[in-house]
Amino acid sequence: MSAPTPAVSAVLRAYPRSWRERYGAEMQALLADREPGWGDLLDLARGALDARLHRLVATPAVLVAAMPRKEFAVPTPPPRPYGVIASPPIGELSRRNFMRRVLGAGAAILALEFVGGTIAFLWPQFRSGLGAKFPIGTLADIVAKQPSFANGWPYAFGPARVFLVNVPAGKELALGREASIPNPSAGELLALWRKCPHLGCQVPALCDELKRFTCRCHGSTYNILGEKLFEGPADRGMSRFAVSIGDDGVVVVDTAQVTAGLLNRGPDALSFVDAAPYERKCR
Amino acid sequence: MGNDGTGTDLGRFAEPALLIMVSLADGPKHGYAIMTDVDSFGASPIGPGTLYAALARLERRGLIEPLGPEDRRRPYRLTGAGSSALAEHLGEMGRLVQVGHARMRAAQG
Repeated sequence: MSAPTPAVSAVLRAYPRSWRERYGAEMQALLADREPGWGDLLDLARGALDARLHRLVATPAVLVAAMPRKEFAVPTPPPRPYGVIASPPIGELSRRNFMRRVLGAGAAILALEFVGGTIAFLWPQFRSGLGAKFPIGTLADIVAKQPSFANGWPYAFGPARVFLVNVPAGKELALGREASIPNPSAGELLALWRKCPHLGCQVPALCDELKRFTCRCHGSTYNILGEKLFEGPADRGMSRFAVSIGDDGVVVVDTAQVTAGLLNRGPDALSFVDAAPYERKCR
Repeated sequence: MGNDGTGTDLGRFAEPALLIMVSLADGPKHGYAIMTDVDSFGASPIGPGTLYAALARLERRGLIEPLGPEDRRRPYRLTGAGSSALAEHLGEMGRLVQVGHARMRAAQG
Protein backbone atom coordinates (compact mmCIF):
# COMPACT_ATOMS: atom_id res chain seq x y z
CA MET A 1 0.00 0.00 0.00
CA SER A 2 1.71 3.15 -1.15
CA ALA A 3 1.34 6.54 0.50
CA PRO A 4 -0.30 9.41 -1.47
CA THR A 5 2.18 11.68 -3.24
CA PRO A 6 0.97 14.93 -1.59
CA ALA A 7 1.63 13.39 1.83
CA VAL A 8 5.15 12.45 0.77
CA SER A 9 5.89 15.94 -0.55
CA ALA A 10 4.44 17.45 2.63
CA VAL A 11 6.77 15.37 4.78
CA LEU A 12 9.74 16.28 2.56
CA ARG A 13 8.86 19.95 3.03
CA ALA A 14 9.05 19.38 6.79
CA TYR A 15 12.82 18.95 6.51
CA PRO A 16 14.87 22.10 7.15
CA ARG A 17 15.77 24.18 4.09
CA SER A 18 19.48 23.50 4.31
CA TRP A 19 18.73 19.78 4.36
CA ARG A 20 16.49 19.98 1.31
CA GLU A 21 19.12 21.92 -0.61
CA ARG A 22 21.67 19.26 0.14
CA TYR A 23 19.66 16.00 0.02
CA GLY A 24 16.27 16.92 -1.45
CA ALA A 25 16.95 15.96 -5.07
CA GLU A 26 18.47 12.58 -4.30
CA MET A 27 15.77 11.72 -1.77
CA GLN A 28 13.13 12.48 -4.39
CA ALA A 29 14.98 10.30 -6.89
CA LEU A 30 15.04 7.50 -4.32
CA LEU A 31 11.33 7.85 -3.57
CA ALA A 32 10.57 7.86 -7.29
CA ASP A 33 12.37 4.50 -7.57
CA ARG A 34 10.78 2.99 -4.50
CA GLU A 35 7.10 3.92 -4.39
CA PRO A 36 7.05 4.80 -0.67
CA GLY A 37 4.59 3.11 1.70
CA TRP A 38 3.06 4.39 4.92
CA GLY A 39 5.97 3.02 6.92
CA ASP A 40 8.35 5.06 4.76
CA LEU A 41 6.19 8.13 5.36
CA LEU A 42 6.49 7.66 9.11
CA ASP A 43 10.20 7.06 8.77
CA LEU A 44 10.59 10.28 6.76
CA ALA A 45 8.64 12.19 9.38
CA ARG A 46 11.00 10.93 12.07
CA GLY A 47 13.91 11.82 9.84
CA ALA A 48 12.56 15.35 9.41
CA LEU A 49 12.20 15.72 13.16
CA ASP A 50 15.72 14.40 13.63
CA ALA A 51 17.09 16.80 11.02
CA ARG A 52 15.37 19.72 12.74
CA LEU A 53 16.64 18.67 16.15
CA HIS A 54 20.23 18.04 15.15
CA ARG A 55 20.97 20.40 12.25
CA LEU A 56 23.34 18.02 10.55
CA VAL A 57 23.66 20.15 7.45
CA ALA A 58 24.97 23.63 8.03
CA THR A 59 26.32 24.76 4.67
CA PRO A 60 24.33 24.96 1.42
CA ALA A 61 25.14 22.30 -1.13
CA VAL A 62 26.58 24.79 -3.62
CA LEU A 63 29.22 25.97 -1.17
CA VAL A 64 30.00 22.42 -0.09
CA ALA A 65 30.61 21.45 -3.70
CA ALA A 66 32.95 24.39 -4.18
CA MET A 67 34.98 23.71 -1.04
CA PRO A 68 38.13 21.62 -1.21
CA ARG A 69 37.46 18.35 0.53
CA LYS A 70 39.92 17.22 3.13
CA GLU A 71 40.18 13.89 4.81
CA PHE A 72 38.92 13.89 8.34
CA ALA A 73 41.13 12.40 10.95
CA VAL A 74 38.86 10.25 13.04
CA PRO A 75 40.27 9.80 16.51
CA THR A 76 39.77 6.25 17.63
CA PRO A 77 37.89 6.14 20.91
CA PRO A 78 39.54 4.29 23.75
CA PRO A 79 38.21 0.76 24.06
CA ARG A 80 35.36 0.64 26.50
CA PRO A 81 34.23 -2.46 28.34
CA TYR A 82 30.82 -3.79 27.42
CA GLY A 83 27.95 -2.78 29.63
CA VAL A 84 29.43 0.51 30.77
CA ILE A 85 27.35 3.47 29.70
CA ALA A 86 29.20 6.68 29.01
CA SER A 87 28.07 9.50 31.27
CA PRO A 88 28.32 13.14 30.21
CA PRO A 89 31.23 15.25 31.43
CA ILE A 90 30.88 16.57 34.96
CA GLY A 91 28.76 19.70 35.07
CA GLU A 92 26.79 18.81 31.95
CA LEU A 93 23.26 17.55 31.89
CA SER A 94 22.73 14.28 30.09
CA ARG A 95 19.83 14.06 27.68
CA ARG A 96 18.18 11.48 29.90
CA ASN A 97 18.35 13.68 32.98
CA PHE A 98 17.19 16.68 31.00
CA MET A 99 14.16 14.77 29.75
CA ARG A 100 13.45 13.56 33.28
CA ARG A 101 13.54 17.08 34.61
CA VAL A 102 11.27 18.35 31.82
CA LEU A 103 8.82 15.55 32.55
CA GLY A 104 9.01 16.25 36.28
CA ALA A 105 8.44 19.96 35.78
CA GLY A 106 5.45 19.23 33.51
CA ALA A 107 3.93 16.87 36.08
CA ALA A 108 4.52 19.45 38.82
CA ILE A 109 2.77 22.19 36.81
CA LEU A 110 -0.14 19.87 36.12
CA ALA A 111 -0.45 18.96 39.80
CA LEU A 112 -0.25 22.63 40.77
CA GLU A 113 -3.01 23.51 38.31
CA PHE A 114 -5.17 20.73 39.70
CA VAL A 115 -4.64 21.75 43.32
CA GLY A 116 -5.07 25.45 42.48
CA GLY A 117 -8.26 24.77 40.54
CA THR A 118 -9.70 22.70 43.40
CA ILE A 119 -8.91 25.39 45.97
CA ALA A 120 -10.37 28.09 43.73
CA PHE A 121 -13.50 25.99 43.29
CA LEU A 122 -13.92 25.43 47.03
CA TRP A 123 -13.10 29.04 47.96
CA PRO A 124 -16.13 30.90 49.36
CA GLN A 125 -17.60 33.29 46.85
CA PHE A 126 -17.72 36.85 48.08
CA ARG A 127 -20.41 38.92 46.58
CA SER A 128 -20.18 42.56 45.82
CA GLY A 129 -21.99 44.76 43.35
CA LEU A 130 -25.41 43.68 42.17
CA GLY A 131 -26.50 40.58 44.09
CA ALA A 132 -25.11 41.76 47.42
CA LYS A 133 -26.92 43.11 50.46
CA PHE A 134 -26.53 46.88 50.79
CA PRO A 135 -26.92 48.57 54.17
CA ILE A 136 -28.16 52.06 53.29
CA GLY A 137 -28.25 53.55 56.78
CA THR A 138 -30.94 54.28 59.35
CA LEU A 139 -33.96 56.33 58.36
CA ALA A 140 -32.54 59.17 60.46
CA ASP A 141 -29.31 59.00 58.39
CA ILE A 142 -31.28 59.10 55.16
CA VAL A 143 -33.41 62.03 56.24
CA ALA A 144 -30.27 63.82 57.46
CA LYS A 145 -28.71 63.41 54.03
CA GLN A 146 -31.85 64.20 52.10
CA PRO A 147 -34.55 65.94 54.19
CA SER A 148 -37.04 65.75 51.30
CA PHE A 149 -37.16 61.93 51.79
CA ALA A 150 -39.60 62.57 54.65
CA ASN A 151 -41.77 64.53 52.17
CA GLY A 152 -41.85 61.62 49.71
CA TRP A 153 -38.99 62.35 47.37
CA PRO A 154 -37.20 59.07 46.51
CA TYR A 155 -33.68 58.64 47.85
CA ALA A 156 -31.23 57.52 45.16
CA PHE A 157 -28.64 55.05 46.45
CA GLY A 158 -25.92 54.61 43.79
CA PRO A 159 -24.09 51.42 44.85
CA ALA A 160 -27.30 49.38 44.75
CA ARG A 161 -28.69 51.30 41.75
CA VAL A 162 -32.01 51.86 43.55
CA PHE A 163 -34.49 54.53 44.43
CA LEU A 164 -35.65 54.09 48.01
CA VAL A 165 -39.27 55.26 48.01
CA ASN A 166 -41.08 56.35 51.15
CA VAL A 167 -44.48 55.04 50.03
CA PRO A 168 -47.02 56.94 52.21
CA ALA A 169 -45.17 60.26 51.89
CA GLY A 170 -44.55 59.59 48.15
CA LYS A 171 -48.25 59.07 47.52
CA GLU A 172 -49.05 62.35 49.26
CA LEU A 173 -46.38 64.08 47.20
CA ALA A 174 -47.72 62.67 43.92
CA LEU A 175 -51.22 63.79 44.86
CA GLY A 176 -49.90 67.31 45.35
CA ARG A 177 -50.17 67.37 49.13
CA GLU A 178 -47.61 68.28 51.75
CA ALA A 179 -46.71 65.55 54.23
CA SER A 180 -43.84 64.73 56.53
CA ILE A 181 -43.46 61.08 57.34
CA PRO A 182 -39.88 60.53 58.53
CA ASN A 183 -40.44 57.01 59.97
CA PRO A 184 -42.08 54.66 57.50
CA SER A 185 -41.99 50.95 58.40
CA ALA A 186 -40.06 48.40 56.34
CA GLY A 187 -43.30 47.44 54.58
CA GLU A 188 -43.78 51.07 53.58
CA LEU A 189 -40.42 51.25 51.82
CA LEU A 190 -39.87 50.36 48.17
CA ALA A 191 -36.46 49.79 46.58
CA LEU A 192 -37.01 50.38 42.86
CA TRP A 193 -34.27 49.09 40.59
CA ARG A 194 -33.21 52.00 38.39
CA LYS A 195 -32.80 49.73 35.37
CA CYS A 196 -35.57 50.48 32.91
CA PRO A 197 -37.38 47.20 32.13
CA HIS A 198 -37.53 48.20 28.47
CA LEU A 199 -33.86 48.14 27.37
CA GLY A 200 -31.97 48.68 30.62
CA CYS A 201 -31.20 52.43 30.64
CA GLN A 202 -30.77 54.02 34.04
CA VAL A 203 -34.05 55.65 35.08
CA PRO A 204 -33.45 59.30 36.10
CA ALA A 205 -34.78 60.98 39.24
CA LEU A 206 -38.43 61.82 39.81
CA CYS A 207 -39.45 64.83 37.76
CA ASP A 208 -40.65 67.91 39.62
CA GLU A 209 -43.57 68.55 37.32
CA LEU A 210 -45.53 65.26 37.41
CA LYS A 211 -43.79 63.39 40.25
CA ARG A 212 -43.19 60.49 37.85
CA PHE A 213 -40.15 58.64 36.53
CA THR A 214 -39.53 58.94 32.79
CA CYS A 215 -36.70 56.99 31.18
CA ARG A 216 -34.69 59.30 28.90
CA CYS A 217 -33.92 56.60 26.36
CA HIS A 218 -37.41 55.85 25.05
CA GLY A 219 -39.75 57.75 27.33
CA SER A 220 -41.18 54.86 29.37
CA THR A 221 -43.02 56.49 32.26
CA TYR A 222 -43.70 55.12 35.75
CA ASN A 223 -45.59 56.49 38.72
CA ILE A 224 -43.84 57.04 42.03
CA LEU A 225 -44.33 53.34 42.92
CA GLY A 226 -42.59 52.33 39.67
CA GLU A 227 -45.82 51.15 38.00
CA LYS A 228 -45.86 51.52 34.23
CA LEU A 229 -48.10 54.23 32.84
CA PHE A 230 -49.29 54.84 29.31
CA GLU A 231 -46.22 56.53 27.85
CA GLY A 232 -43.27 54.58 26.44
CA PRO A 233 -42.45 51.12 25.11
CA ALA A 234 -41.80 49.21 28.38
CA ASP A 235 -44.43 46.52 28.93
CA ARG A 236 -44.17 46.39 32.71
CA GLY A 237 -43.17 48.37 35.79
CA MET A 238 -39.78 48.79 37.43
CA SER A 239 -38.40 45.78 39.32
CA ARG A 240 -38.13 45.87 43.10
CA PHE A 241 -35.54 44.57 45.56
CA ALA A 242 -36.40 43.24 49.00
CA VAL A 243 -36.07 45.85 51.77
CA SER A 244 -35.71 45.19 55.47
CA ILE A 245 -34.89 47.20 58.55
CA GLY A 246 -32.49 45.52 60.96
CA ASP A 247 -32.60 45.60 64.77
CA ASP A 248 -30.10 48.47 64.64
CA GLY A 249 -32.53 50.43 62.48
CA VAL A 250 -30.39 50.16 59.35
CA VAL A 251 -32.32 49.85 56.10
CA VAL A 252 -30.93 46.95 54.05
CA VAL A 253 -31.60 46.37 50.35
CA ASP A 254 -31.03 42.79 49.21
CA THR A 255 -30.28 42.99 45.47
CA ALA A 256 -30.32 39.20 45.20
CA GLN A 257 -34.06 39.18 45.81
CA VAL A 258 -35.76 40.78 42.83
CA THR A 259 -39.46 41.04 42.14
CA ALA A 260 -40.11 41.80 38.51
CA GLY A 261 -42.35 44.80 37.91
CA LEU A 262 -45.99 43.97 37.14
CA LEU A 263 -47.21 43.93 33.54
CA ASN A 264 -48.85 47.11 32.34
CA ARG A 265 -52.56 46.31 32.32
CA GLY A 266 -53.95 49.79 31.92
CA PRO A 267 -55.08 52.49 34.34
CA ASP A 268 -57.54 50.28 36.22
CA ALA A 269 -54.79 47.88 37.31
CA LEU A 270 -52.64 50.52 39.02
CA SER A 271 -52.36 50.26 42.79
CA PHE A 272 -51.93 54.02 42.98
CA VAL A 273 -53.26 56.78 40.74
CA ASP A 274 -51.47 60.10 40.99
CA ALA A 275 -52.68 63.56 40.21
CA ALA A 276 -51.51 63.79 36.57
CA PRO A 277 -53.41 62.30 33.61
CA TYR A 278 -52.53 58.63 32.90
CA GLU A 279 -50.99 59.24 29.47
CA ARG A 280 -48.67 62.11 30.31
CA LYS A 281 -44.92 61.90 30.64
CA CYS A 282 -42.28 64.21 32.06
CA ARG A 283 -40.72 66.69 29.68
CA MET B 1 31.75 3.81 16.20
CA GLY B 2 30.91 5.58 19.42
CA ASN B 3 31.49 9.23 20.01
CA ASP B 4 33.91 10.65 17.46
CA GLY B 5 34.39 14.01 19.12
CA THR B 6 31.97 15.97 16.93
CA GLY B 7 29.48 15.96 19.78
CA THR B 8 26.85 13.98 17.92
CA ASP B 9 26.49 10.39 18.97
CA LEU B 10 25.08 8.05 16.38
CA GLY B 11 22.41 6.93 18.85
CA ARG B 12 19.64 4.98 17.17
CA PHE B 13 21.39 5.45 13.84
CA ALA B 14 24.36 3.29 14.86
CA GLU B 15 22.91 0.15 13.32
CA PRO B 16 21.73 1.68 10.02
CA ALA B 17 25.10 3.43 9.78
CA LEU B 18 26.91 0.13 10.11
CA LEU B 19 24.65 -1.49 7.50
CA ILE B 20 25.28 1.40 5.13
CA MET B 21 29.02 1.15 5.57
CA VAL B 22 28.91 -2.60 4.98
CA SER B 23 26.85 -1.98 1.88
CA LEU B 24 29.37 0.57 0.59
CA ALA B 25 32.30 -1.72 1.33
CA ASP B 26 32.26 -3.24 -2.18
CA GLY B 27 31.91 0.05 -4.01
CA PRO B 28 29.95 3.32 -4.29
CA LYS B 29 26.15 3.16 -4.29
CA HIS B 30 23.34 5.70 -4.31
CA GLY B 31 20.50 5.79 -1.77
CA TYR B 32 18.07 3.41 -3.43
CA ALA B 33 20.83 0.92 -4.23
CA ILE B 34 21.90 0.97 -0.57
CA MET B 35 18.35 0.24 0.56
CA THR B 36 17.85 -2.69 -1.79
CA ASP B 37 21.34 -3.99 -0.97
CA VAL B 38 20.67 -3.86 2.79
CA ASP B 39 17.37 -5.67 2.20
CA SER B 40 19.26 -8.33 0.24
CA PHE B 41 21.60 -9.25 3.08
CA GLY B 42 18.72 -9.94 5.31
CA ALA B 43 19.20 -7.21 7.87
CA SER B 44 16.21 -5.22 9.09
CA PRO B 45 15.18 -2.85 6.27
CA ILE B 46 16.06 0.85 6.50
CA GLY B 47 13.42 3.49 5.72
CA PRO B 48 14.30 6.51 3.59
CA GLY B 49 14.27 8.96 6.51
CA THR B 50 16.54 6.76 8.61
CA LEU B 51 18.80 6.15 5.63
CA TYR B 52 19.43 9.84 5.01
CA ALA B 53 19.72 10.68 8.70
CA ALA B 54 22.46 8.03 8.95
CA LEU B 55 24.09 9.11 5.67
CA ALA B 56 24.23 12.71 6.88
CA ARG B 57 25.90 11.65 10.11
CA LEU B 58 28.42 9.44 8.36
CA GLU B 59 29.19 12.18 5.88
CA ARG B 60 29.58 14.76 8.61
CA ARG B 61 32.18 12.71 10.40
CA GLY B 62 33.99 11.94 7.19
CA LEU B 63 33.40 8.21 7.11
CA ILE B 64 31.69 8.39 3.72
CA GLU B 65 31.72 11.00 0.97
CA PRO B 66 29.36 11.93 -1.85
CA LEU B 67 30.42 11.62 -5.50
CA GLY B 68 29.12 13.79 -8.34
CA PRO B 69 25.41 13.30 -8.97
CA GLU B 70 24.32 10.96 -11.78
CA ASP B 71 20.94 12.04 -13.06
CA ARG B 72 19.78 13.32 -9.61
CA ARG B 73 20.99 10.16 -7.81
CA ARG B 74 24.14 10.77 -5.87
CA PRO B 75 26.41 7.81 -5.08
CA TYR B 76 28.38 7.64 -1.84
CA ARG B 77 31.60 5.84 -1.11
CA LEU B 78 33.62 4.95 1.96
CA THR B 79 36.52 7.28 2.74
CA GLY B 80 39.84 5.96 3.95
CA ALA B 81 38.83 6.79 7.49
CA GLY B 82 35.54 5.04 6.88
CA SER B 83 37.19 1.86 5.66
CA SER B 84 39.50 1.66 8.64
CA ALA B 85 36.68 2.45 11.10
CA LEU B 86 34.55 -0.25 9.50
CA ALA B 87 37.38 -2.75 9.56
CA GLU B 88 38.05 -2.03 13.20
CA HIS B 89 34.39 -2.31 14.16
CA LEU B 90 33.92 -5.55 12.24
CA GLY B 91 37.05 -6.88 13.93
CA GLU B 92 35.56 -6.06 17.33
CA MET B 93 32.32 -7.73 16.38
CA GLY B 94 34.22 -10.74 15.10
CA ARG B 95 36.02 -11.12 18.39
CA LEU B 96 32.72 -10.87 20.21
CA VAL B 97 31.27 -13.56 17.94
CA GLN B 98 34.25 -15.83 18.58
CA VAL B 99 34.06 -15.37 22.33
CA GLY B 100 30.34 -16.00 22.27
CA HIS B 101 30.64 -19.20 20.24
CA ALA B 102 33.51 -20.46 22.37
CA ARG B 103 31.57 -19.95 25.58
CA MET B 104 28.48 -21.64 24.24
CA ARG B 105 30.54 -24.61 23.12
CA ALA B 106 32.17 -24.77 26.54
CA ALA B 107 28.79 -24.68 28.24
CA GLN B 108 27.47 -27.51 26.06
CA GLY B 109 30.65 -29.64 26.16
